[in-house]
Amino acid sequence: MRKSLLIIFFLQPLAIPQSTTFDFYSPQNIKLFANYLFCEEDYLRAIEQYELLENQFVNDTIKFKIMLGYSDLKLYQQSNDLIKSLNHESKLYPDAYLVSMKNELLISHKRLHYIALSSFNLSQQAGFNKLSAISLLYGNEQSIKKSDFVSVFNSAQQNTASFLYDYKFNPPYRSPAWAGIFSAIIPGSGKMYVGEWGDGITGLLLTGLFAVLAYDNFRADHNTRAWIFTGIGAFFYAGNIYGSVATAQIYNAKFNFDFQNGLNLFLEQENYFLPEYDFCN
Amino acid sequence: MTSAIKIIFSITLILLSFINVFPQTTFEEQYIYAANLYSEEDYFDAITEFKRLLFFDESDNYVHSVNLYIGLSYKMGGRFSDALQYLALAKLNSSSEEEFFDSSIEIVKVNILRRTTRRAFALLDTIANDTSFVHKLEEINYWKGWAYIFSDEWGKAASTFSEIQSTPQLAVLCDSVYNELYNPQLAKYLSIVPGAGQFYTGEYVSGLISIGWNVLWGYLTIEAFIGDRIFDGVLIGALLWWRFYSGNIQNAEKFALEKNLEITNSALYYLQNDYEGEKP
Repeated sequence: MRKSLLIIFFLQPLAIPQSTTFDFYSPQNIKLFANYLFCEEDYLRAIEQYELLENQFVNDTIKFKIMLGYSDLKLYQQSNDLIKSLNHESKLYPDAYLVSMKNELLISHKRLHYIALSSFNLSQQAGFNKLSAISLLYGNEQSIKKSDFVSVFNSAQQNTASFLYDYKFNPPYRSPAWAGIFSAIIPGSGKMYVGEWGDGITGLLLTGLFAVLAYDNFRADHNTRAWIFTGIGAFFYAGNIYGSVATAQIYNAKFNFDFQNGLNLFLEQENYFLPEYDFCN
Repeated sequence: MTSAIKIIFSITLILLSFINVFPQTTFEEQYIYAANLYSEEDYFDAITEFKRLLFFDESDNYVHSVNLYIGLSYKMGGRFSDALQYLALAKLNSSSEEEFFDSSIEIVKVNILRRTTRRAFALLDTIANDTSFVHKLEEINYWKGWAYIFSDEWGKAASTFSEIQSTPQLAVLCDSVYNELYNPQLAKYLSIVPGAGQFYTGEYVSGLISIGWNVLWGYLTIEAFIGDRIFDGVLIGALLWWRFYSGNIQNAEKFALEKNLEITNSALYYLQNDYEGEKP
């Protein structure tokens, strides 16, 4: 009896192994879990988990992944702060350098003045050249010829690059001053100059209508009514000049907005000319 | 050993062996820990801990409930697309009809909240047509009523809630909102008589201004025609009178739409803050 009981007692733990404890928070498990989160693109949680790891478990790959995660979360400064802690001899350093260029471009929106690394491979060098070239579009200085600018990009990218270059350095702006002058001479023509044909024709018709009404009433000796129409006509005339200047300014602002959007879209589509990093397969 | 000691020893040994058979496993502890974070409304950490459990637990014991919790946490954080992704996983991993039904309803609720009500209706119809859930028709109709509210169909919401015994309050509320709403088409057609549409929507000052403009330009147009100034008459009538007349019609319709928005927003505000029943 006693023997049987002892056998039962000691066999239970062996028979039911899942009852053993599991350390979710061991460094190895935190790392495994963080890698899983990173591959799930849950970067915020992945970074949180990587940052729980003590220094001896943090290698350059983890630092680079944190850098990528921050960059994807649009926390560019935090991302760039990490490059200082990366070993310059690390094989990931050139990639981290490119990521830091992307971050800097998105932080400052200015031309980049980075120097190419001797450790760049061909693809990294191409990414570096493209990022440096595209950063020219963030400045105002036309320091490179169009052909030289476009030649940096591959054939699939050259059309867009050429289009963006033209938009940056030869923008089809409309002069607010000329729009105002045109509308002062012929009401509505300033708006037509900006491309607002419907508004221009409406302005011309309304100003013309009140002018005709004023003239007609003066001729019929309805002076009070004639002065009312003159006042309204003058209001429309002045409003049309002001409106034409404003329309030209809005047109230029919209153009700048569209240009910036187009540039951002191009960069996003091309993943900022960074190589695809695959840490999950 | 005496027989009494033998018996006590045997019982103790058996009880001790049970400690090993049914210990609270670390996975279960992790589940409880994450569920506590959820109940403390620490949704970010709750998601992290549930995901940790999901990643390490190979037994599939928690797949349904963990995915459900993650989905609900994302929902509470307003991340509806992520919520739907995990709720769908919870539904896929349901091990009973009850779990399947509950996760389906949670998916419906998220669809209601993000106003993809067509999807909510489709899901509710699918569940309603399933014979396993015949006894759940009242609950299905309850959420259908909410879906009608969020698709701005207060009349249908009122009639749906009126079919449910337990929610007379919602039926009354939806019915009163439905009755309070202005008909934008009626406001538009009433404005054939200038100002009448604005009076219908309770905008009396705007109605009077509209009457004033139409009387002024109408008078000047008619006077011009009577005075044989046909050119003046045509221009004033066609451009000024017509502009204010058509503006009066558009204005009345706009007022009706704005008033309706105010009425429905105030009802939604009540439902969000003061209604004590179940909400999406």
